[in-house]
Formats: sequence, C-alpha cells, structure tokens
Amino acid sequence: MAHSGHIELRSVTKRFDQTLAVDDISLTIPHGSYCCLLGPSGCGKTTILRMIAGHEAPTAGDIRIGGESVIGLPPVRRGTAMMFQNYALFPHLTVLDNVAFNLKARGVGKAERHQRAREVLAQVQLDQFAERMPAQLSGGQQQRVALSRALITKPRVLLLDEPLSALDEFLRLQMRGELRRIQRELGITFVHVTHTQLEAIAVADVVVVMEEGRIEQAASAHEIYTLPATAYVARFMGGQNVLAGTVIALNDGAATLVDGTGARFAAPATSTAPAKGQEIACCIRRDRIKVEKLRGPLSSLAEATNVLAGTVHAIEYQGSYVKVTIDVPGREQFVGNLPDHAFLTAPLDIGDAVVARWATEDVHLLTGDSTKTTTGVRLPLEAQKDGVSQHLI
Amino acid sequence: MTARSSNGRPWTFYALAAFFTLFVLFLYGPMSAIFILSFQGPTGGLTFPMNGVSLHWFKALVVQQRSGDFVGSFSRSIVLAIIVLAITVVVSIMAGLAFRYRFRGATAVFYMAIASLIMPGLLLGLGVGLMFQFAHVSPAWFSSALGAQLTWTLPFGLLIMFAVFSRFNRAYEEAARDLGASPWQTLWLVVLPILLPGIIGVALFGFTLSYDEFPRTLIPIGSRNTLPLEIWAMTTDVTSPALYALGTLTTAVSFVVIAVALTSIAVIQRRRARRQRRAREA
Amino acid sequence: MRPQRATSTFTRTPYLLVAPLTVVLMVFFGIPLALVVVVSFFDLDKFDIIPTFVLTNYSELFGSSLTYTLYAKTITYALIVWAITLVIGFTVSYFLVFHVRSVLWQMALFLLCTVPFWTSNVIRMISWIPFLGRHGLFNQSLIALGVTDHPLEFLLFSNFSVVIAYVHLFSLFMIVPIFNSMARIDRAVIEAAVDGGASRARVITDIVIPLSKTGIALGSIFVIALVMGDFFVVKVMSGGQSSSVVAAMSNEIAILQYPPAAANAVCLLIIVMLMVAAIIRLVDVRRELSGERQA
Repeated sequence: MAHSGHIELRSVTKRFDQTLAVDDISLTIPHGSYCCLLGPSGCGKTTILRMIAGHEAPTAGDIRIGGESVIGLPPVRRGTAMMFQNYALFPHLTVLDNVAFNLKARGVGKAERHQRAREVLAQVQLDQFAERMPAQLSGGQQQRVALSRALITKPRVLLLDEPLSALDEFLRLQMRGELRRIQRELGITFVHVTHTQLEAIAVADVVVVMEEGRIEQAASAHEIYTLPATAYVARFMGGQNVLAGTVIALNDGAATLVDGTGARFAAPATSTAPAKGQEIACCIRRDRIKVEKLRGPLSSLAEATNVLAGTVHAIEYQGSYVKVTIDVPGREQFVGNLPDHAFLTAPLDIGDAVVARWATEDVHLLTGDSTKTTTGVRLPLEAQKDGVSQHLI
Repeated sequence: MTARSSNGRPWTFYALAAFFTLFVLFLYGPMSAIFILSFQGPTGGLTFPMNGVSLHWFKALVVQQRSGDFVGSFSRSIVLAIIVLAITVVVSIMAGLAFRYRFRGATAVFYMAIASLIMPGLLLGLGVGLMFQFAHVSPAWFSSALGAQLTWTLPFGLLIMFAVFSRFNRAYEEAARDLGASPWQTLWLVVLPILLPGIIGVALFGFTLSYDEFPRTLIPIGSRNTLPLEIWAMTTDVTSPALYALGTLTTAVSFVVIAVALTSIAVIQRRRARRQRRAREA
Repeated sequence: MRPQRATSTFTRTPYLLVAPLTVVLMVFFGIPLALVVVVSFFDLDKFDIIPTFVLTNYSELFGSSLTYTLYAKTITYALIVWAITLVIGFTVSYFLVFHVRSVLWQMALFLLCTVPFWTSNVIRMISWIPFLGRHGLFNQSLIALGVTDHPLEFLLFSNFSVVIAYVHLFSLFMIVPIFNSMARIDRAVIEAAVDGGASRARVITDIVIPLSKTGIALGSIFVIALVMGDFFVVKVMSGGQSSSVVAAMSNEIAILQYPPAAANAVCLLIIVMLMVAAIIRLVDVRRELSGERQA
C-alpha cells in the first residue's frame, strides 16, 4: 500500500479568511486512475489539488494517500509531484538543471543527476534542448520539460494544474493524448484540474464536477455526459438541454411532466420513481433531437409529448454536426445538434419557425442523487466511445 | 492619431529628447568646469581664468600636508562602503523576505525605516554622537559612522527589495518546495539567483550611498575622515584646485567602474550565448 | 484571488528575518532620536549641558523671529525644488519609458543620468561655482554666443544658485522611483485608452500619472526630506547670505550648544514628518510597495 497512489479525501474543508473554498468534500480516487477535477473558476478544484500536493493545509478533514494520512507532510514526502500552471520552470537554470533539480536537492552528484535527467528528457524527445534556457523553448516544449521535472521524482501521484490551458488549440489536442499515454505507461494516479469539459471527458477515467466548493457529481466520463445527476452538471457539460416540470402521471415505467407553459415531457422513471406532484428536472441530449421546419398550425402540438416549438436564433457549423439554437417563448434557449447530412438535406435559417422532437427513452431525470464519492468505475473504451467521441474534434 | 514624421516618431519624441539632452548637459556641464580647472597652472586660482596648464594639482593630491589626507580618507571611504554594502545587502534581503509574511509590528518597522530615511542627516549624526558620548565610547568611522550610514542605506535597500519581491512569482518557490528543496535550498538555489539583478541594485546603491555620504557621517566620524568629509574640510579651510583634480579623478574612476561592469556583463552574456549555440549544434 | 500560502512551519521566521533591520534601526535611529528629544529639554550653562527638564530651549526657539524666517525660507526652497524636480523627474522618466524603444538604450541613457551621482555631492556642488561665476564657463559662453554682453551676476551666490544646486544634486532621487513606477505600467492599458480615442494629454493625466503615483510620492518624500535637512548647499551656494534651519543648527552644534540645537531638531523633525505624512495620506505607499495588486 505504501507505493499506492490511492487517494482519499475525507470531509475536507478549506477556509480562507471569510471565504469557504472547499466545503466538506469526500472523494476517493483509485490507484492508477486518471481523475479530472472539472469546474469553473473559483469552484475549489485548484485548492483541492494544492491540498493533495501539500501546498495548502485543509482547515478540517483528512487526506490519505496509499492509506496513510499525509496531513502535515511536506510535498516531497507524500510521493506527489505537481505540474504548475504556466510551468514555473526556473528561468535561471538550463533545461537540464531544471529537470535535475529534485536530484540536486536530494544531494545526488552532478554527473549522476545530469545523466538521469538526460534519460528522462530523451523520453520526451527533448534531450538536444538540455543546455537551453526555458525562455528559449516553445510552450509545448516547456510543458514537456515541466512534466519531466515532475516525473523524475518518481511520484505515485502526479498533480496537474490546468496543464493545457497555456497551449494553443492544436497543441492542446496533441498533448491531451500524450498525457493519457504517459499515464497509462507509468500506471500512476493523475489528478488533472481543468475548466474545459471536452478535455476532461477525453482523458479521464473519473470526472469530478465541482461548483462553489462542493462536488456536484463524481463518476466516469460517460456517466457525467449521458447521465448527469443535477441540472448544474447537465448545463455545465454542455451536451444537454435542461427541462423542468411537475409530475402529473406515472405509468409504464415513464413519468410525465408538465411545466408552466403547458409543455409536456415524458421520461423513463426507473428505480428512483418520482412522486406525483413532485417538481423535478430532466435533461435531453442535444444530439438526440430532431429539428425541422414547422408544418401546420401550432395548435396541432398542444397535446404532444417531448415536443417544443420555437424560432431559430442561431446556427453554428461544427464540422460533423450543426448546432441549432432555438428561442422558445417562456423558457431558456433550446439547442439541438443535427448531424451535418441531416441539416444539409433540410437546411434551416435564422428566424425559421421550427419544431424540436425527441424520444422518451433519451430523456434522463435529474434526481440529484449523484455519487458524491466514486468507486472509479472504469468503463471499457468501447463503452466510453459510444455517443461521446463523435462530438469530439 | 498625431502626425508622425517620416520615420514614425511623433513630434513629442523630439521635444522630449531635446529636454533630456538639456538635462544631461545640466548634469554634466558643471563637471566640465571642474575638469578643465583641474589642469590649472600652479599659480592658478579656483575660478577662471586659467593660469597656464599643468598637472600640478593632481600631484598635490598625493602630497598630504597642504591639501589633506586624500589617500587615507579615500581608502577609508572604500572600506567603509564595502562594509556598508555587505551589511545592507544581507539585512535588506532578510527584511524583504520577512515582509512577505504578515506579522505583528510590520507596519511599525516599515515606518521606522521611512522615518530613518527622512530624518535630516545632521540630526541623526548628532543623535548618534550623543549616544556614543553618553556611553563614554569614542566615535570612530568603523563603528558610529558605520551605524549612522546604515540608517541611510538600509531603508533604501528595503524599498528596493519591496519592489523586487513584488515582481517575484511565488510559483517558483512552490515548485522548488514541491521538488523536495528545503526552505534554505529554495532560497539559495531558486529565490536569490532569480532576484540577483535586484540584489546587485541594492549592493550598488548601498556602496554609492555610503561612499558619497556626508551629513550623517559628519558628527560621529571620530578622528579620521572619510573622503567626503576630507573634501568638506578642504572647502572650508584651504581650498585649491587640488579639489577639482580630485573631482576629475573620482568621476574618471566612476566611469571606469561602470565601463568594467558593463563589459563584464556583455562578456558573460556573449559567453553564455556561445555555450548555448555550441550545445545546439552538438 | 490568490490564496495565502501554507503557514504551518514558518510562523517564527518573519520575526527572525526582520530582527537585524529592527535592531540596527533601533540602536542607530531609535536611541539617537530619543536622545535628541531628551537633550532638547536639558539646560545649558555656557558650554556645559545640564541634565534637567526645562522648556527654555523651546521657548527661546519659538520666541525668536529668526526661527520663523529660517523655517519659511527652508520650506520655500523645499517646495520650489520639489516642483522643479517633479517636472524633470516625470519628463525624463516618461521619455525613457515611453519614447525610447530599445531596452538597451533605456538602460544606457538611465545609466548616463546616474553616473554623475557617483561623484561626491560636495564636489558636484562646488563645481557650480566656477561654472556660474562672473568669469565662469556659463557666462563666458553666453557672451561668446552674443546672448548678453555683461556677465549675469544673479547666477551665483543667490537663491537661484541654491535652487540650481539642489536640483542638480537631488533630481536623481525623483527620477529613479518614478521611472520604476512608470516602467511597470501595462502598455495594453495605454493602448486601450488610445484606441478609445484618448488624446496623449488625456492618457497622461488619466492613466500615466495615477499609475505612477507611488513613484511620485516616494520621490517627493526623498526630495523634500533632503532639502529640509540640508545645511551645506545653502550656505556655500548663497555665499553665506542665506541659511537654513539645519545650517543654524550646525552652527549651534559647532559651539557645543546641544540643547537648543536639539530643540530645533525636534521641531524640524515634526514639521518634516507632517509634510511626509501628508504625502503618505494621499498615496498609501506601504500598500502599493508590498505588491498587493489591486484589480
């Protein structure tokens, strides 16, 4: 267990003066998994990362790595290594000396530490840059140096603070795959902080969606995307539309909702059956929606379920699909992602009156009972690809 | 946009450049008078017109009786300045590090430093002299004068360190800590090397302020003068063009020191660039 | 908002680190200051000081009209010199920061300004005498250029020469802090202003001046303190006609009249503190310097 990168946060809270940055969080990250902490600025994800690293101490609660509490231990004794946002490469040292820094701090002799540093640099194809200064490297190269510098300490947990945000889009996509590959090769735990949703689901086994110091949902990428637990997660991930209403009927394993404007929605009601009269939200994936021009009068839709009528507000071409934003009176904007061939067969214009339809089995009730701790279910890659990767660039 | 001349510079550039040139002339102009007069003939006086041209007064500098003990006071000034430099650098760095935390009394210490700076030099010298007098200890250039000069250089050093630290990115320290460096290692291997330009600034300031210092040193100096005091004694007692010769010499020395410093920086940079080019081609 | 760093193991460190500074300042500033205050209440018997508590020194000080004349004169000098060095300091810094394009030139020109300050103040002050004298270089060049046919008398041993000497000696103290403040202004802010249609004058008044106020405040504090505390420039450059507060003090010290000198010193110190406090009230120097960035 001593070398295990199994991380446990138990009721961790962090308060800065009057601000509550992290609010009673409990989380388990299994050894060897790739975990992403995802959320907007200020949600507490970086604070959690720094507490795991040992750069901040929790106000309350316990943090365990490999089964042992690390509270009070300095970073180097925790077996963690951190890759800083903007890398924090020492500007006055060469690339080689940067990478060898940990060895120098431990008293390793010059010849030996330079050789080991060169070996690590060779693994990321940067050995011929060993004598350069960090300022002379490109963003992507600096990132690889920062990674080497962290990995030379042979950590059991690697902590990455928004590692890709300083890179341009093309490099970002490349490095994403690199990070995933390195994690698989080393078999250690990666904890990666980001505010980019697609990045998180691309690399992570476990995605932890956070908001205002609390975990909204911690689950596999597939679950977060397809089966969000709360309206916040559904909206934040971006692939869903959120609808709300009151339950008026429950039959045949389906719940029917009616909202304030009289629109009716039906969703499969499974084990967590909502009660009649309960107000509840549900969500429908944007790529499961058919949008077509309105034919016939609006009144024909009066008793229809899982149908919305509105006007096209915006059309955005995204390569394999077209994002259609619809203004629906009395509610927030509704978005449908139409496959490009479908759109081209029946194109729409801004201002067109349209109808959006979807099937009941594609609706997901947001029961709010998310898994706040996770067992780190790692779905096989095939299952993860299903319905998710087609929207990744 | 304002009208630009053919090479893209607005008219204000030329106006400001002219102002700047005038200012530089203003700074260096009077020194030109001294420079010329230092070659005054042996019978010449302190002002124009020139009575012949000679190196007489330069020679007079080394002869101690009539003109004053320049060699002695000069060496004392240098030694004192080096001691002040060393103490100022170490104490300012430590104090600069301290002020990055919030601690009780921080504001009091800060304002005490500012007060020490603005206190008229002669008054401070008076106080130090009194202190030594009441303690029945003889004042001397390496004790009382040293302390008096520190009250002038330390606040400057502190202010410079403030400016330097405020630009320092704490991520470097955290990275060092993350990689296993002890606090001392972090300081020595990371913080100080990155802050080196600022530290050199403190050192230069400390040296110059001490070397030039006059009001604070005047009273607590003891029996042997530093150079500024020797010069002052000269202006009040026996004044001769030897004074001007001294001015020319010290300015020349300053130029030489700066030239040496700049060329050594240039040489270091060129050497570093050559090393990296070699590494790249390897 | 960047959170504070972990403080678990380092609570004693700042006190240890700031100790040397505190000790040196207390011993060589605190105690001497206290002594000066104490001695200001001593009595004087010819040339012996008597340790008692009397207010005679102060009553004599405030009773003499010379005191007020001297203070008025010194404060006037301080304000005039402050105004001139402020204009010079601001203009030179502005030129170096915003109009000089290459950093190398910036540094070289900056160094060019600082080199004279490596020569002793006394010598530099003295150098004005042959320069401004009746037969001095300046008059000679004016006559040679035909600007005037008589040497200008007012140039030397007058208020003019005193002010010139002060400006010559102390302008660097205004340039360095202002230059430092200005160099830290984010160019993008200025470009945004220009983009929004601001004229150059507007950019200066609305952006450059407010953002360099720390430098201006510091420079002002230095210059005012230096002029208020001067005793030799005024005597020499006015040819003995003029005097200042500290010059009068130095006379008293020379004849061992410590208590009256000390009383004068306390009075001056309070006045200078008030002037500096006024500046600090306008610009919170400590907060700006400690680098706590405001939004």
